[in-house]
Amino acid sequence: MFRTTLRAASPIASRAISRPLVAKSAFIGASKFVAPIRFYTAAPVDKKEITSRVIDVIKAFDKTAASSEVTGQTYFHKDLGLDSLDTVELLVAIEEEFDIEIPDKVADDLKSVGETVDYIASNPEAN
Amino acid sequence: MSATPTRGQVLKLYKQFMKNARQFNDYNFREYFIRRARIGFKENKDVHDSQKLNTLFKEAQRDLGVLKRQSVLSQMYTFDKLVVEPLIKSHGHSRGL
Repeated sequence: MFRTTLRAASPIASRAISRPLVAKSAFIGASKFVAPIRFYTAAPVDKKEITSRVIDVIKAFDKTAASSEVTGQTYFHKDLGLDSLDTVELLVAIEEEFDIEIPDKVADDLKSVGETVDYIASNPEAN
Repeated sequence: MSATPTRGQVLKLYKQFMKNARQFNDYNFREYFIRRARIGFKENKDVHDSQKLNTLFKEAQRDLGVLKRQSVLSQMYTFDKLVVEPLIKSHGHSRGL
């Protein structure tokens, strides 16, 4: 919601960036009411970047059997040879990388790189 | 009380161990506790005897308490990074904004 506001208002913001707030609202003018611009957070990361970061975490994880190729279709158990404990550990590393908390119920269902990426993309707190 | 811990409970416990172990400030402690948790859980992964499982589970819960306390304590003190540690811990944070 705020992202669209931000995008629409960004040319104004960049023009008015050095002006004090009062001057800015005067500048925008009385003809149109514009709510004050608030910058909340950086834009959410896109899927491609999430995938590459997840893959980096997996490669840094020293237990992976097949460190050669990790793609979105790679399964933790089948392709990487991780047991349930290793998977939990890997997910903790991924949680830390993206600063999120994966609830246990979701974590049980994450079995591949693709599923993990999808979950992170759907989590608004990921960064 | 005497119910056998389920697979889910054990995995949850392991996750807690890992989370807390990773928070140690000091490299040596951090690596040790991660290693210790790994070995400890792997060692007993084939235990099926419910009596033994129970004992192990309770023991682990007690250890987790100690680990939690020590990891919090460790965060109250600063340690210099060792030469073996990468300076940028997570490259994700160094990338852009």
